[in-house]
Amino acid sequence: MSSVAEAPVAPRPSAWRRFRGWLSNPWGRPRFLPLVTWGYVVWSIVPVLIAVQFSFNATRSRTTWQGFSTRWYWGDPVDSVWHDPTLRDALVQSLKLAVADVVIATPIGVLLAIGLARWHGRGSGSSNFLMLFPLVTPEIVMGVALLLVFTDLFTFVGTGTTAQILGHVTFSISFVVVIVRGRLFSIGRQYEEAAADLGASPTAALTRVLLPLLMPAIVASAAVVFAISLDDFVISQWLSKGGETDTVPVIIYSATRAAPLPSTNAIATIMMLLSLASVTIGFLVWRAFTRGERQAGQSVVRDMGTAPRVGDI
Amino acid sequence: MARGEIRLIGLTKRFAEVTAVDHIDLEVDPGEFFSLLGPSGCGKTTTLRMIAGFEQPSEGRILLDGTDVAYTPAHKRNVNTVFQNYALFPHLDVFDNVAFGLRRAKRPKSEVRQRAVQALELVQLGGLERRKPSQLSGGQQQRVALARALVLNPSVLLLDEPLGALDAKLRKTLQIELKTLQREVGITFIYVTHDQEEALTMSDRLAVMNGGKIEQVGAPQDVYEDPETLFVADFLGVSNLMDATAQGARNGRCRVRADTFELAAGSGAIDLIGPAKIVIRPERVELESREAAAGPNRLPGMVERLVYVGSAVQVIVRVATGEVLQVLVPNSGKVLPYEQGTPVQLYLPVDALRVLAAPQEGEAEPVEPQAVTDASGHS
Repeated sequence: MSSVAEAPVAPRPSAWRRFRGWLSNPWGRPRFLPLVTWGYVVWSIVPVLIAVQFSFNATRSRTTWQGFSTRWYWGDPVDSVWHDPTLRDALVQSLKLAVADVVIATPIGVLLAIGLARWHGRGSGSSNFLMLFPLVTPEIVMGVALLLVFTDLFTFVGTGTTAQILGHVTFSISFVVVIVRGRLFSIGRQYEEAAADLGASPTAALTRVLLPLLMPAIVASAAVVFAISLDDFVISQWLSKGGETDTVPVIIYSATRAAPLPSTNAIATIMMLLSLASVTIGFLVWRAFTRGERQAGQSVVRDMGTAPRVGDI
Repeated sequence: MARGEIRLIGLTKRFAEVTAVDHIDLEVDPGEFFSLLGPSGCGKTTTLRMIAGFEQPSEGRILLDGTDVAYTPAHKRNVNTVFQNYALFPHLDVFDNVAFGLRRAKRPKSEVRQRAVQALELVQLGGLERRKPSQLSGGQQQRVALARALVLNPSVLLLDEPLGALDAKLRKTLQIELKTLQREVGITFIYVTHDQEEALTMSDRLAVMNGGKIEQVGAPQDVYEDPETLFVADFLGVSNLMDATAQGARNGRCRVRADTFELAAGSGAIDLIGPAKIVIRPERVELESREAAAGPNRLPGMVERLVYVGSAVQVIVRVATGEVLQVLVPNSGKVLPYEQGTPVQLYLPVDALRVLAAPQEGEAEPVEPQAVTDASGHS
């Protein structure tokens, strides 16, 4: 023990060194990254919070806070979201498109994902790549293209709700495919093989095993589709017939350019809450469904990851 | 009632780049515990997957009780599989997993219940019906996988390294259980493994596979004691291999020359003349001091290393031919009078020394066995 006591004591480091040590200590908690993260969170959330705040303003001003009120939601007999027919129709139209999009795009996307993941032949690679196309194509290009298609080629569609639904489905299928395909790859083929081994026909294997296992991804992708459909401006705008087929983002855009009222903030807040709710529900369902897999410690998850045993042929 | 007889005739599977299984012929008798043993990539799993129906053969026939099932889809074959990772359906509980096959076969509800419960009791999992697979230990999951396959009363049960994911001790217990269970139910088991010890202890017969071909088929003792090829000798436990020149038989033994030493080998290709390999198991080599009687079949050498493996001591000896041989001395509690550098001589008993044809140019050299297990267990 004596030798320990006799060991030389390091001199106390300078204040600067201690600050550096506090900021970046390889043994301690990270400090710098949380600073950056929180900085970003505040930066991105403050404008939203301000917009939400002014949706509760008591006067017509969108810049000066003059007291709390809910008049822009339902109180005002003319200009509130509840009473202004333009805003109400836009909200209804947005919800209509979003629901239709979810109902149509999700099943098609799931089938496409299964098909693409199971298809290993000529053209499977390029088809897989094409699926990413709508994700990277500028939306304005897609909007113009769809408008041309619906007004020149398939003129029976024209503009309006049908065209908008078709447009939304076109770009949201990719999201479903990407999410579901990811899950498919992590599940692997072994459960389908096990089902076939136990005498399940291909249909039974799909309905009894594969779809239940895909359910978290299906719900999550439905939530994402709902949210991005609500959010969409470009395609909704291009394919709108005007009037009651204008969606909320379109209305907000034109209202902001004309004479904005806090009711615009109110309807934006409602939209934001709807998106948030759908994504939250999707996340919670995913978590509830996959809880068993995570509880299994690493085993099930790892097994899923290594399912296709390419190595041992 | 010949139920559970498998015959493979010229079975071949070619993938884009490789021939995974290359014209194999095999007969498995009803009620037999048959193992396919080989290193990874030898084609054993592909063979199993073709019997199960997950892969379509490129060529050849698969006869199940005399009927060609090579082109019957998996869900219509009366064989069931225990997967390496069990592949228990994570969204179903234990009971529903076991009942899955019965329900697909549209059995009446009461029968489903009765047979599933019975199968779970067979694997000693009664009472865990409502657990999810994720709430079970590895060994329990393995038993559920077994029950799920056995409940359908298949002609043949296929097992793809079913114990591979378990720890050594549990594996030993389950090996014995599995063997007992197989005797009880009398179903043909085809068991794929890369673990030579597992194959030797459990099988009635086994086939050693390498490079898509079958190297040797036989009872564990025959394959271990009388390996027909270098690969088999090497893969089934540790073998000492030495280069030699065979000079033909005399008095029922082969005269071989290793470097400048004349030896007599009593088994293997004793009629061979030309380049050869001589093989001897480490547990058959006898370690002697230099002063011991000189005599035939002895090689002088020097101890290089002593490795304590618990039940035995491995003595690594460099012999005068320049090659290194392993000697396995059972641990009898006495301290060996050897250390690094001690001059010794090795006695290679005639009946334990085996001559095998040296591989031709271009033929694959035997690969190292993956798991060097305690070889003393087989001596």
